[in-house]
Amino acid sequence: MQIVKKLLHARGLTSLLFLIALFVIVGIINPSFLSPSNIAACFNTSVVYTLVAVGMAFTLFTGNLDVSIGSNLGLVAAVVGSMLRDGQPLMLAVLVGLLIGAVIGLVNAWGVAVMGAPALIFTLGVNGILRGIMYVYTNGAWVENLPKEFKDFSSVTAVGDLTVYYCVTILAVVGIHFLLTRTRRGRYFQAVGDNDQGATLVGLPTLQTKVLAYVICGVMAAIAGIIFASRIGFVTPQSGDGYEMKAIAACVLGGVSLLGGVGTVLGSAIGAVIMASISYLLVFMGFSSNYDNAITGVILIVIVVADALIQHRSMVKNRRARLMARVSQDDAADAGAEKGGDAK
Amino acid sequence: MIEKIKGFYATHGQASWNTILIALLVLEFVVFGMANDRFLRPALLFTSINDNLPTFMLSLFVTLIMVTGGIDIQVSSLVGLTSITIGVAWQDFGLPIWGAVGLAFVLVTLCGALSGFLIAYCRVQAMVVTLGGSFLFSGMALLVSTLSKTESYLGISGFPEDFRFVGTYDVGGVIPIQIFIYALMLVVAFILLHKTKYGRKIFLTGVNQSAAEYSGINTRRVIMSTYILSAIAAAIAGTVTTAYLGTSRSDLGGDLTMDIITAVVLGGTLSTGGKGSIVGTALASFLIAFLRFGLPLCFKISTQYLDIPVGILLVAVIVGRSAAGVGGFGPWLRSLLPGKGSDKARSVSK
Repeated sequence: MQIVKKLLHARGLTSLLFLIALFVIVGIINPSFLSPSNIAACFNTSVVYTLVAVGMAFTLFTGNLDVSIGSNLGLVAAVVGSMLRDGQPLMLAVLVGLLIGAVIGLVNAWGVAVMGAPALIFTLGVNGILRGIMYVYTNGAWVENLPKEFKDFSSVTAVGDLTVYYCVTILAVVGIHFLLTRTRRGRYFQAVGDNDQGATLVGLPTLQTKVLAYVICGVMAAIAGIIFASRIGFVTPQSGDGYEMKAIAACVLGGVSLLGGVGTVLGSAIGAVIMASISYLLVFMGFSSNYDNAITGVILIVIVVADALIQHRSMVKNRRARLMARVSQDDAADAGAEKGGDAK
Repeated sequence: MIEKIKGFYATHGQASWNTILIALLVLEFVVFGMANDRFLRPALLFTSINDNLPTFMLSLFVTLIMVTGGIDIQVSSLVGLTSITIGVAWQDFGLPIWGAVGLAFVLVTLCGALSGFLIAYCRVQAMVVTLGGSFLFSGMALLVSTLSKTESYLGISGFPEDFRFVGTYDVGGVIPIQIFIYALMLVVAFILLHKTKYGRKIFLTGVNQSAAEYSGINTRRVIMSTYILSAIAAAIAGTVTTAYLGTSRSDLGGDLTMDIITAVVLGGTLSTGGKGSIVGTALASFLIAFLRFGLPLCFKISTQYLDIPVGILLVAVIVGRSAAGVGGFGPWLRSLLPGKGSDKARSVSK
């Protein structure tokens, strides 16, 4: 019974069940979907979303938000892409890309964690600035003619039809999950998000944790940008636009709360698969990809509303239980006092 | 002395901020006007206002939402939904043009009501609901456009003259009629927020929702109504823009979110709610619009780079204001004065 209750509380699991149900429903409508290569394709296309969603999850855990990752991803993709095109070594390009991501993370951390600006508005401004810088950097032109080996690496498979990228990513996500749930340092993120002042009072390094969350988010977006360049093979000035919203949606689908402190990175990774597969699944259900946004919106709204209603109900229930317990306690105490009086 | 200054800014915070915005606007006119005197031609100025009219109109009513402590990132998608609904209902369903406009208004208002309902009555965060809404409504706009026999990238055009009138008629041959529509919306928003009981309820809801609830205000209805108002503003903006451009497209207004939020925040509205000004928002939206119009015209800066100055503006204002600890420019100035230490100590001890 305890286990069942625990499972019901794990929102990440609900989203996994939702994903499986989604696959099964599409499989019933169109049996040709249920082949290993199709299901693997759903996971493979989600690799960029997974990376940005996991990065976003870190900032959401700490009760913040980072909507600059879309431009961060695009800028890193453009810089790394153009460096590789110009014959720079891969390691150098990747290093520069990661550095850019980390610096952007630091800037966001400075604004939000140090200066105390509202996260959404500050990072929205940073997003605009980065998008402008990307136009300046690329001169509005596409970054094309990336080295063939770099592009081909995106289709190298590791396990079955799953690409190396996805396998490494998902292993890393599982690793991060255990770091976050099993180590003292890892628990800090959710502690800070759950109760900032409380965390400060018990002596946790709240500021350091928030800064770290933003840097991790920026670096994750940078990695996503590099993989984006490798998978797509070219970078347009608009590349990455809108990924920030998709990442938030993926996290929310995976049970991460925007209020901070609640959720798992595994959940956000599953949410990313759902987000990425919707357009792919639509094709198999015989809809045009025009339905993509509308269905994404409906799923997002339905899930968060259901979640909010369930939470509210449990809150009311808990409050009532507490109240009842107090009332019965008072009764017992009154009864005890009367008894004592009688005895005298 | 410090107490006096504190008192002055407590009562004149927004007024002094508005003065600064006006000064910046004047500065823009002087600098751009000196760099290129074409900037000051009324025809060009009015064109730039026309191009930015959706931002102007939407930021007014998003201010109301942000004063309640919410946020709306879906309004820009409602502009496209309005536009494409008008086009498809008129061309493909054969409705009379004003019938089509009415249909679009009803649909978009319902969309706003839906989000408002979920935020107010189901207690879902405004950010998440309107994020979902922005996906849903832009997706709906795309679906509506597939109902048409016209390819969606072409847009539906050929609207009758009496509809185009709303977006193309110039009063006295100079001032476009939609500026009067905007002015009317400005007055309505100003009176609603600053001069009515309803406006006081909005402010109190933003300051402290529980306190507002306990003092007998139906805060949920207040919150929901602000989202409906902003949806109606989106419908007006969509109609006017469609008439102005002469084509109905599903992706109109797609990337206005940053400009709208920048305008509202720059205008002195606190993103956590409880403080805000319609006049400030209007001034700030003009500031941004002329920046976007003047920089390419006078300094040959590519329009694609304009997100940089707007972004810097947003970031600078929000950091400056947060550094002050409290909203408004006044307290920030005050924090530069001696006595800053005691202020800080107080905010920590809180």
